[in-house]
Amino acid sequence: MDELNLTFVDQAVEKIGTGREKVLEILQAVQDHFRYLPGEALQRVCELTEITPASIAGVSTFYSQFRHHPAGRHTIRVCIGTACHVKGGGQVYDAFKRQLGIGEEEDTDPQKLFTVEKVACLGCCMLAPVIQIQARAIQIDNITYGHLSSEQVPVVLRDFLEQEKARPVRIEHRLTPDRVAGEIRICLDSSCVASGSARVYEALKKAVEETSAQAVVKSVGCSGMSFLAPLVEVLLPGGTSFRYAKVLPEDARAIVLRHFKPEQIGRKIRNAVSTMLDKILTDKAWEPVTRYSVDVRDQPVAAFLDKQRHIATEHCGGIDPVDLDEYLLNDGFKALQKCVKELSPQEVITAIERSGLRGRGGAGFPTYLKWSAVHHRGSAKKYVICNGDEGDPGAFMDRMLMESFPYRIIEGMAIAAYAVGADEGYFYIRAEYPLAIKRMTEAINNCRRRGFLGNNIMRDSALREPESGFSLHLEIAVGAGAFVCGEETALMASIEGRRGMPRLRPPYPAQSGLWDKPTLINNVETYAVVPWIIRNGPEAFAKLGTGTSKGTKVFALAGKVTRGGLIEVPMGISIRRIVENIGGGIAGGLRLKAVQVGGPSGGCVPAELAHISVDYEALNEVGAMMGSGGMVALDESDCMVDIARYFLDFTQNQSCGKCTFCRIGTRRMLDILERLCEGRGRKGDIEELEHLAQMVQNASLCGLGRTAPNPVLSTIKYFRDEYQAHLEKRCPAGKCKALITYSVTDDCIGCSLCAQHCPADAIEMQPYQKHEIDTDKCIRCGTCRSVCPTDAIKVE
Amino acid sequence: MPKLTIDNREVEVDNGATILDAAGKLRIEIPTMCFLKGYKALTSCMVCLVKVNGLGGFVPSCGTIVQDGMRVESDSEEVRQARRAALELLLSDHLGDCIGPCQTTCPARMNIPLMIRQIAAGKLRDAIATVKKDIALPAVLGRICPKPCERACRRAAFDDAVSICLLKRYVADIDLQSANPYLPPCKPRQGKRVAIVGAGPAGLAAAYYLTLDGFRCTLFDEHESAGGGLRYAVSEEQLPRDVLDKEIALIEKLGVQFQGQTRIGTALSMEDLRSDFDAVFVAVGELKAGGPAWMGLETGPNGIVINRKTYETNLAGVFAGGDAVRKRRLAVRAVADGKEAAVSISQYLSGRVITGATKAFNTHIGKLKNGEIEKFIAGASKTPRVSLHPRKRVPAQEDYGFTDEQARDEAARCLHCDCRKAETCKLRQYAHDYGARPGRYKGERRTFVQLPSHPDVIYEPGKCIDCGLCIQITSKAGETLGLTFIGRGFDVRVAVPFGRSIAEGLKRVASQCVAACPTGALAFKVKS
Repeated sequence: MDELNLTFVDQAVEKIGTGREKVLEILQAVQDHFRYLPGEALQRVCELTEITPASIAGVSTFYSQFRHHPAGRHTIRVCIGTACHVKGGGQVYDAFKRQLGIGEEEDTDPQKLFTVEKVACLGCCMLAPVIQIQARAIQIDNITYGHLSSEQVPVVLRDFLEQEKARPVRIEHRLTPDRVAGEIRICLDSSCVASGSARVYEALKKAVEETSAQAVVKSVGCSGMSFLAPLVEVLLPGGTSFRYAKVLPEDARAIVLRHFKPEQIGRKIRNAVSTMLDKILTDKAWEPVTRYSVDVRDQPVAAFLDKQRHIATEHCGGIDPVDLDEYLLNDGFKALQKCVKELSPQEVITAIERSGLRGRGGAGFPTYLKWSAVHHRGSAKKYVICNGDEGDPGAFMDRMLMESFPYRIIEGMAIAAYAVGADEGYFYIRAEYPLAIKRMTEAINNCRRRGFLGNNIMRDSALREPESGFSLHLEIAVGAGAFVCGEETALMASIEGRRGMPRLRPPYPAQSGLWDKPTLINNVETYAVVPWIIRNGPEAFAKLGTGTSKGTKVFALAGKVTRGGLIEVPMGISIRRIVENIGGGIAGGLRLKAVQVGGPSGGCVPAELAHISVDYEALNEVGAMMGSGGMVALDESDCMVDIARYFLDFTQNQSCGKCTFCRIGTRRMLDILERLCEGRGRKGDIEELEHLAQMVQNASLCGLGRTAPNPVLSTIKYFRDEYQAHLEKRCPAGKCKALITYSVTDDCIGCSLCAQHCPADAIEMQPYQKHEIDTDKCIRCGTCRSVCPTDAIKVE
Repeated sequence: MPKLTIDNREVEVDNGATILDAAGKLRIEIPTMCFLKGYKALTSCMVCLVKVNGLGGFVPSCGTIVQDGMRVESDSEEVRQARRAALELLLSDHLGDCIGPCQTTCPARMNIPLMIRQIAAGKLRDAIATVKKDIALPAVLGRICPKPCERACRRAAFDDAVSICLLKRYVADIDLQSANPYLPPCKPRQGKRVAIVGAGPAGLAAAYYLTLDGFRCTLFDEHESAGGGLRYAVSEEQLPRDVLDKEIALIEKLGVQFQGQTRIGTALSMEDLRSDFDAVFVAVGELKAGGPAWMGLETGPNGIVINRKTYETNLAGVFAGGDAVRKRRLAVRAVADGKEAAVSISQYLSGRVITGATKAFNTHIGKLKNGEIEKFIAGASKTPRVSLHPRKRVPAQEDYGFTDEQARDEAARCLHCDCRKAETCKLRQYAHDYGARPGRYKGERRTFVQLPSHPDVIYEPGKCIDCGLCIQITSKAGETLGLTFIGRGFDVRVAVPFGRSIAEGLKRVASQCVAACPTGALAFKVKS
């Protein structure tokens, strides 16, 4: 083997620094360069820095982002988040491995072209199942493909390789502050880009240029209406707006011409704000991969927006995420100014107390109590941290907030820092959110330049104040693939450059946090609502919601609903209302079975309890949890034992491995669930599972372990008969592979599509005859079922 | 200074003290594995759990700081159950045999690996003590035992089993031939007397162990000489009588009375024995059909009906064992019965609850996976099984057994499957104390690995409970490489960074790590 050139390591260390806490950053740089972590490079790092071999070996094997073996040229990341799981992400993963000839224990194809890996959640739940291909060549961005099924895998690979050759253009932000002309708005956040919005953006810009239209194409924060993405909004001078859903690049020219032809100015259609025009799909080139219907009119939009209340997501779909001027024009930093100029820190805390705000990260601890605890610590040095390590599969609220409203979060955090007396802080953002990292970085830099961060913030230069007395320095710390780092003590360990292992509390971070200093940690959404509370008054916030849960909550609504997306609703709204009104009910004619709320720490609320309202206590009472706000609707075709297994598989995989109950207990629980799903259940398994679940719940060290059994306990509670059925080797929902068989019914018309698509050659082609499935060869991937035009594939 | 109660006992502690500290002050014992004084509480093993009023669930006492007014439960059934669950979970992912499979298979549970280590070290006096702890007639059994232990010997998977039986015989023969054969000290004599009916292997063994325990034993037998089936059913060719005589003589030398030609039922009745003695042990050998029902003892298809754990019969104070109680007849089983019945009789005579001999807690690796035997072999001699020299064998006579050299060569073949820290392992101790069942949670087991690179210390990752103490110790001591956690979650393992050897990782604090390791994961190669 060639000797590795380690000059890069020397340069990286030179640039990043030699402190122990730099280990993650250095490892990330090394991996970016070599695409894995060569042992020689790690040893070199130890020679150059204070980082010990024990530390670098421990840290680099803790975070799943790091590879210790060379990877293929491109990386295919298959999302196995909740929404993707229920829609067949696992089968897509299998299909990629099969298509690329990757062995069971391997992750890279023999030609070393593609490495296939599972990722916890790409945060594009409405496009489920989703995959992302990270290209080796830096010229092209990651490409995300949505709404996949097993048989589309070859198409995706072909498409990707073609695009790689074609080197698509990069997205640029060039904004013309000309407000006289019309605006064409499009969201470029991760999930919209995944739906193809970047290409539409480019096409719109090109069209504007070519037609010399009096319009500016503008990237805006997300409207949350992912079910319509790519969504283009045309805003004409005078305020009239038009929305186009699921736009394709080839539609761009038509849209531009329709509104900005000079001679047609008089023919403006004066319609209601949210009118939507029919659009025509002319080119079906993309059809195999993303199959969108054309009949989306304004009704769904109105219904989708109906019950929503935008506080954390204020101005959604309207302002450019990283344009600081635009933020300022929309009341940006007024709340911070008010705090620094008019309120004492104690008054700020009192305002938060009066608002009734509780932590949006999951547990719902009263925010003011945390602030107050840090405020009262007599320490010269304090920290504020924004927990952006949203890792729940099926949740992406924080990603969207960071991508769309970075300044709002910075402002909220600055207000918190002012209130508690901190002058330094960190954004901890998971590495899986590159756009969030990019936009937050840009926003922080802009704030620094313009004096909203740094020393003497809000100094009134007109009054020639030498100083405001309030300084705040913010930095970004990037996670590396560890769900447990969402736990506050683990998160701090990670910032300090250690393995992200939680520790026993107390001491709480407010007493002894980052570098043993008093530290305030809040979640992204918690900070995001703070400026609104200050500007509109705590009472306005407290007016929304229920007795104990005030304000609004952002949810990622996904799963089997007709309209998935990111929603912000007042607390107290019922789950059914969210699913039925906002989400448009269950797609495909099946009935709602349960709603999974709160991800791996949450639980399943059965359909008959869907009337309960979204508030911390009500959810806890039924065995679910607010969690960070993932909401996945499940229908009759979902197996609840499989759902429990899925979540436990996730938490078990994400356990840090410190305490016995979580490390081994969750594994033993998973053993039982796997047995059940594979038809190897034994008498007494359900009781043993309950017993273990209670032990893990009561005796684990941190929140991850203590809440990990929730999905299991809640499904046993409400769907015990399904567990019982699995003991008897039946899966009533027809989901568990080992317990089901595929067969062809008499509805078969002999079209042979199933035989053509079967990846396992389990169906012999017999045109015009009833086809048959060889059960021994069948891998239960569901391809035949999805291609059958007459619904003639039966699963039992 | 905060005050708290533990199990309703109040105590005041310094600020910052933990619940464990407070318990220590009250002399309440709380089990700990990952905790070591002078080091940061790791709160990983979770066996020190307690319940605190107002706090949900359980908390680890080693890391929980006392708050004024806490009320702590450390010994409730709920707490014990949680600790047991922690232990059972740890055991479900703990790969090792506390006791060697040979010893587990030996009906008398003789500590075979220890005996072999003592032979290898030339400490034959220690070896005979080890043997006689469990086998009262080793020279005899060394000749007639069907050696179930050798069938369990892991070495057989590589070449041939270790010659355990011949090694035992070697130890016993050397002892018998010595001027001063081994006689363990007896406990002070108590007045209590035991009648033992039948002087076969079970009766002799019971007499031996009861005498050591301070009881006066009289052996009754219908024959003229002691030995029972050993003398009257085994051929001289198999068992030369001088060997048998010598071993019986040693037992008599301890103070056991032998009364031959006394048939119970004619000369003396069971009632006579029960009134003249404080306890009776019936070891009359194989029963003829319809046998001793007249003795007032209940019989069944296998002989006298006994409690299998305590050897008690239906008559109070009367115990039975050996071939009289079972169908499968094995001298070594009879010897084991005698030893175990002696424990019950001793408990009975001292007025304690009769529980029988406590079975030592044990975890089992079970069947080896492919490639694992090679790991076991790594540290052992590769020479084939020593066979006895044919020239030294006298036709129709017994052979002479191992020479010193042969014994040492054969001893070197032992793989020492038993845990080097079986006596000090905290996991084993607590598992025993809390009645943890090692098989409660079954899952895929770890692969057996043994890392012997260090000159004095051996590392068996399968036994590691990921407590992290050794990592703290190496880090604090400033080992250049030291140890670290590799991986995450269920698959986390303690290892030297960069895949380097234990020898490189533990240059300075190896013995401290061995001492701190709560299990046999890190152990000295040679038991001190």
